[in-house]
Amino acid sequence: MNRDEYWNPILETLPLEQLQRLQLKKFKEIFTWAYEHSKFYRKLYGDAGMEPGDIKSFEDIRKVPKIEKSMMRDIQGKDPFPYGDILCVPLEEVTDYRQTSGTTGQPIYQADTWQDWEFSTEAYAYALYAQGYRPGDRCFLPFGYNIFIAFWAYHYAGEKIGCEMIPGGVLNTEARILKMQELRATAMGATPTYVLGMAETARKIGINPPTDLQIRKITVAGEPGGSIPATKKRMEEAWGAKVYDQVGSTEIGHWGWECRQQAGLHVNEAFFLVEIIDVDTGKHIDKPGKQGKMVVTTFNRSAQPCIRFDVKDLIQWNAQQCDCGRTFRLLDGGIRGRADDITKVKGVLLSPTAIEEVVRDIPQLSNEYQVMVIKKGDIDDITLKVEIVPEYAKDEASIRTVLVDQLRLKTNLGYNIEFHEFGSLPRSQAKSRRFLDQRPKLH
Amino acid sequence: MAQQYDIRAMADLIESLRKDAERLKKIAGDIPSVQKNADRILANVKMLEININDVTEILGK
Repeated sequence: MNRDEYWNPILETLPLEQLQRLQLKKFKEIFTWAYEHSKFYRKLYGDAGMEPGDIKSFEDIRKVPKIEKSMMRDIQGKDPFPYGDILCVPLEEVTDYRQTSGTTGQPIYQADTWQDWEFSTEAYAYALYAQGYRPGDRCFLPFGYNIFIAFWAYHYAGEKIGCEMIPGGVLNTEARILKMQELRATAMGATPTYVLGMAETARKIGINPPTDLQIRKITVAGEPGGSIPATKKRMEEAWGAKVYDQVGSTEIGHWGWECRQQAGLHVNEAFFLVEIIDVDTGKHIDKPGKQGKMVVTTFNRSAQPCIRFDVKDLIQWNAQQCDCGRTFRLLDGGIRGRADDITKVKGVLLSPTAIEEVVRDIPQLSNEYQVMVIKKGDIDDITLKVEIVPEYAKDEASIRTVLVDQLRLKTNLGYNIEFHEFGSLPRSQAKSRRFLDQRPKLH
Repeated sequence: MAQQYDIRAMADLIESLRKDAERLKKIAGDIPSVQKNADRILANVKMLEININDVTEILGK
């Protein structure tokens, strides 16, 4: 256990029993704050017959009503505009606006005070420090700085640690690669899709990232790829760099990350309370090895608190204690999907992540793919579109056989396989939508 | 690892920083440059509190 590994050696190695006492104390504080300052929360808790003095144990926390995105959508746009009555501070104390990407519907608006933004940055600093970012690192941000939260906190956390941050916002992909080369950048942060896409573009312009660039650390976020072994392997090989996953969201903040051991996602349990709930029974899952949906509380977000937010991401605890010495628990396999995304196709439960795992594990296929589900009469029909790397074009038949077999094994389904010209499927710089369910919705 | 640090001394200094920044805000009157920079100091003091002071009670310090 080397204390130079930790951003805060006190909190990060706190024994679990003390960590849980800290969590209970902090939950009471944020619950009280929200109850006293937000009409939305006061009504929510009042309707459930709860008030601040009622929280005395984790059992009591479990009785606190959960919130979800649909509730946020209902209140926003109203006064105080545009956040609605969830807001806990006067509007003139709000210094930062962000919104969610809207992948699952109407975007959610997020208000932050300067102190809230410092908290977001602080939480991200835990992640970057654990991944080995130090003064002297020159970090390139190949990402459009905009209305979404993505990578803003990476920028400010790197700055806080003492790294040199290079905003590569408005440049195109080629220009970003050339700038990284020119400045000898040592680290970057991007979505897994873009990390793979950049490597492809680099090779097209005659740059081989592992030998011609000096990027040795990559932090990925926004998509599950960082915790999918086959996708991570592709990224690490394409760049000759270590790739670390980082998870968070606009409403919650940056709650989980891989450390240098790459043994799974650590939950920052000093800043967040993560609960796992069985999707079918609604009961809490405290033991490792069983998957459930995540409910999360952020302890120090004052303008728009996030208390028992039902994220619908699927996770499970890992029994392993990380060799890094942190007592923050590990998640097994990162975000394993979304309760919303798991859909029945031909009567079989399917997680799109499982398809990605298969495609990215076949080296003759490119990084891109697309899945489309339609209805043919009464029957579901599922098509997987992939691209073969040009040098393997002659092997189409054998690749098809491997693909069909692996998909059957991992997802229990048969697919129509379509091979598309290399480079023809859509590429994205942000979150990709590769799973297109075009079946009529049942109401 | 907590025992390797003088957490109480750090917590006391952080409390003192908060008091100083709040007092600075109070005596600054209507000078925005002092008010707003003091607010930023206080936001950073809060981060120090989260990292150190909040855990003192749990550690019995």
